[in-house]
Amino acid sequence: MRDGTGVADREGVIEVIGLTRRFKQTCAVDDLSFTVSPGMITGFLGANGAGKTTTMRLILGLDRPTAGRATVHGVPYRELRRPLTQVGALLDATAVQGGRLAKQHLGWLARSNGISRGRIPGLLELVGLGDVGHKRVGGFSLGMKQRLGLAAALLGDPEVLLLDEPVNGLDPEGIRWMRGLLKSLAAEGRTVLVSSHLMHEMAVTADHLIVIGRGRLLADAKITDLVRPDASLEDVFMEIIEGSAR
Amino acid sequence: MNAIAAEWIKLRTLRSTWWAVGIGVLTSLALTVLGAATVISRWAPDRTGDHAAMGVVVAVYVGVILAQLPLGMLGTMAISGEHTSGMIDMTFVATPSRARVLTAKAAVLSGVAVVGSLLIAVPGYLYGRFVAAEFQPSFLPAGAWTVIAGGTLMIVVTTLLGLALGMVLRNGAVATAALVGIVLMLPFVANMFSWGDVVNRFLPTYPALQLIEQVPDIMPTWTAFTVLAGWAVIPLLIGVFTGRRSAGRP
Repeated sequence: MRDGTGVADREGVIEVIGLTRRFKQTCAVDDLSFTVSPGMITGFLGANGAGKTTTMRLILGLDRPTAGRATVHGVPYRELRRPLTQVGALLDATAVQGGRLAKQHLGWLARSNGISRGRIPGLLELVGLGDVGHKRVGGFSLGMKQRLGLAAALLGDPEVLLLDEPVNGLDPEGIRWMRGLLKSLAAEGRTVLVSSHLMHEMAVTADHLIVIGRGRLLADAKITDLVRPDASLEDVFMEIIEGSAR
Repeated sequence: MNAIAAEWIKLRTLRSTWWAVGIGVLTSLALTVLGAATVISRWAPDRTGDHAAMGVVVAVYVGVILAQLPLGMLGTMAISGEHTSGMIDMTFVATPSRARVLTAKAAVLSGVAVVGSLLIAVPGYLYGRFVAAEFQPSFLPAGAWTVIAGGTLMIVVTTLLGLALGMVLRNGAVATAALVGIVLMLPFVANMFSWGDVVNRFLPTYPALQLIEQVPDIMPTWTAFTVLAGWAVIPLLIGVFTGRRSAGRP
């Protein structure tokens, strides 16, 4: 395990180096560098519009960086063979075509990477959608779509998970379930990067935190180093954000 | 092959696919049946067997002209539907190569277009032979193969053009309008001007109609095939190129 100083080390499975993405007027991601290590949950924290989603899209090769690079196991995502077997991603869970059945949605994803479709019933069971695999995705609630998205991310049994706001739309029980699942995935030695703007959730879920604001790195530390007895993570987060604004 | 298999699952698991193919095939078959019945009843009694068979084949591919629009829209929806829902991101996460995704979509759609044209042509041909039985038509005279190849290529080209327009324009309604404009409106407008023949040589519709013997020849057969094939390939290449620029490799 790493020592939490934020210095890049050999254990970084996801490596982001000088990553920059400029849109016309704004700089969504600004010279961002961090690494994500295996065997723990790394929380990716920032206010709305801080650049979390853009960073994840850049790591997944969905967008082109203006400068810098992002790699998974030392390789740009786009050069991975059968990427779903190495990296599982959950971006916008609502970005599915409603006309398909849940099992059909997972079916095309599995087939695209040569993954056995025999895994699908078990995965639907795991995420709590065992009874609705033959239902159309269009009728799913946001929470059910998040569960389906998580099943899609786990389809290839990947070592690395990138999850963008996975607890959005989940009920309290679902949030608790998701937390337990992520912890067990990390305990299996997987690399788990979870973005969120919910500090309380991160405080009880993550082992390590990467905090960004306006596309810049604000903090990269173990959660135990950030949370003091006299201050909640929320207080610390606000201090960091305000510190950066000055 | 994984990408092609995945695109086939995507296409067949949307009901809109079966609506598009069903509407295309059924309306075309209806037109073929009507056309064959009215045309063949007016044939001169001294028509030879080869002549009759050729007449049947030409009548069959009139129907395919109608089927190209629903299939072109299917091509458009195959990509614009993913842009609208945002699922295109998952597609590229699963298959990062934009060119591979587009090639797989093109392969699957071409297959559907060919099967669609066969579903129109084979029953139509059998029906036409039945109606023209008194002329004792031969099987397939040499000239018929140009019509078959031209008619099949026409429906494939319109489907792939729909795909390319969907890829470049992303919005389904805009892409469909552009498709109708290129395939129907432009040739119609061009026909009203003296220079129409020049323009029509470079649009997909006239070469296709010439190959299926619906309009007078204004260019050699091989030119017509080349122009048509160009409309299948070049817009897709533009689609790959613009896709690379907007979200492509650094």
